[in-house]
Amino acid sequence: MRQLSFMEPHFSPHDRNGRRRSIMPAILGLLVFFFMLAPFAALALVTSWGKFHFVAGDGDAIRVSLFYSLASLTIIICLGTPLAWWLANYEFRGKLLVEALILLPLLTPPLAMGILLASFYGPYGAAGAGLERLGLTLTNNPEAFVLAQVYGAMPYYAIAARAAFEGVPRELEQIAMTLGKEPWQIFLQVTLPLSRLGLAAGMALAWIRAMGEFGIVLIIAYFPQGIPVKLWVNLQDTGLSSVYPLLWLFFIIAMPLPLLLGILSRRRSVF
Amino acid sequence: MQIDYRMEKPIILEASLELRGFTVLLGLSGEGKSCLLRAIAGLLPAAGNPFGGLPPQRRPVGYLPQSYALFPHLKAWENVAFPLQRGWGRKEKALELLGMVGLRNVADRYPDALSGGEQQRVALARALAREPQLLLLDEPTSALDAATLDVLLAELIGQVRRLGLPTLAVTHDPRLAAMADRMAVMAGRRIVQEGTPQQVFRNPLSRDVARLVGFRNLLTGIVRERVGKWMWVDLNGLLLRAPVHDWLIPGMAVGVGIRSEEINLVPAGALPPENSNVIPLELTSVREEGLALRILGRGAIELNILLQHPVTPEASHLRPGAEVNGLVDPERIHFFPP
Repeated sequence: MRQLSFMEPHFSPHDRNGRRRSIMPAILGLLVFFFMLAPFAALALVTSWGKFHFVAGDGDAIRVSLFYSLASLTIIICLGTPLAWWLANYEFRGKLLVEALILLPLLTPPLAMGILLASFYGPYGAAGAGLERLGLTLTNNPEAFVLAQVYGAMPYYAIAARAAFEGVPRELEQIAMTLGKEPWQIFLQVTLPLSRLGLAAGMALAWIRAMGEFGIVLIIAYFPQGIPVKLWVNLQDTGLSSVYPLLWLFFIIAMPLPLLLGILSRRRSVF
Repeated sequence: MQIDYRMEKPIILEASLELRGFTVLLGLSGEGKSCLLRAIAGLLPAAGNPFGGLPPQRRPVGYLPQSYALFPHLKAWENVAFPLQRGWGRKEKALELLGMVGLRNVADRYPDALSGGEQQRVALARALAREPQLLLLDEPTSALDAATLDVLLAELIGQVRRLGLPTLAVTHDPRLAAMADRMAVMAGRRIVQEGTPQQVFRNPLSRDVARLVGFRNLLTGIVRERVGKWMWVDLNGLLLRAPVHDWLIPGMAVGVGIRSEEINLVPAGALPPENSNVIPLELTSVREEGLALRILGRGAIELNILLQHPVTPEASHLRPGAEVNGLVDPERIHFFPP
């Protein structure tokens, strides 16, 4: 086993098998990396640090985004997991079609998706009328906000979770059966731990998507205002100077969860 | 213990065999041996006894698949503890089982840090933790190094015997079958012969069985005549002498099996021992197989010969083109239906 010494450069010219490797992919990778992050570096330059300030309502927007996105993520996990499990473990006629249709909410432009949700769940919609009789309206309230985020982000989680479940060797689940475990125990003790990397990636993606959702939210839940809509409002009411501070805060708030999920899921004993 | 199973999917298979101690089911790959084990474990739909109709988690069966299927996210002891109820003494019990297979020292390692043999023993300990009434082993020799195979097998079989647990191992490896208490042979998706390894290796009842237990020379001949306690069998014009078998009547066709290692070679001019069958051969190929020599010779019949202890490797008469006499003891000629 090769020991990493202090003196060794981090970009070792050898790969894991000790073969000398080409420098080209690293250069290309770095270039693409800089290309992707250039606009964010620019943010640091255009922010007027001297006049860094928040405007009224920014604090509420942060609370709304954070709290309701976590609620959305919880719902996405509760609903997306059975869907992903079904697709990963069952073969049936028309499965390809089902898989394609799940992508529909992703394919639909967010604005159009918002309109579709409004016309289905809104006061005059097919479901909306029925829900209203139960005392639940789904426009311009927290419920509608969460609904918009769930529709925008669930496909990402479902697709990632399905791939994660499919990656668990069937044999391990079967051997667990012969060791006397019930299906729910196998799910908790074998499937879940072994698919944790993919599930965590799916959660991170869904969280990021839900936090950043703008188009759908704009149509059916202009209120309460989360950060994306508040950025829009700030831009219109005050101008760029009130956009950048909130954007900084948005990054600081939204990034830790994906990072944490990434770190936790790489540890063997997370569950 | 008697096993009777019948399945239709994914293959049609019917098997009925008796288990006594460490029992081996020998058969070529593709015979459906693994399917039979999975059916007994309840992982494939099948009807049969014992345990028929029970879901897999209710069957008191310890099943070791070919890959051992250890849980990669659990340490060795956690793998063993997997079937145990949560609660006091769980870890102690797991460590005790690991100790039984001689692996207490690797309790805290993950499966990817264990050798093939160690993984197999951890999987065995895990299967035993559920206190099965029957142990099923799928190709237990497949992931073991050739160098340590014999030792590991002896250990495994010793372990199973000490537990007194009825065990069914399926394999295509006759070496494992030879070490069993009892064996059965599967061909054409049926059990074609059962018995002790001695009985089966000595008296294969069919050409398929003979091939599986290591016969390399499988020929067809015609029974010519019976004189006293001897009879003669015609193999393409060559007459071989063998002891009389009651079921062989002059005029009938018969399958003839001769083991490679039961043929001896002497120079063409040398005087053969009394009673031995003499088969004139021209050698077509001679190659070393470890310390032994694998030789092909052609005369009235073609023979595959394994000389375990050639006098000297460069023995001058053993080279392609040489004319030699193959010697076969009449007692070493095996017969079965053609």
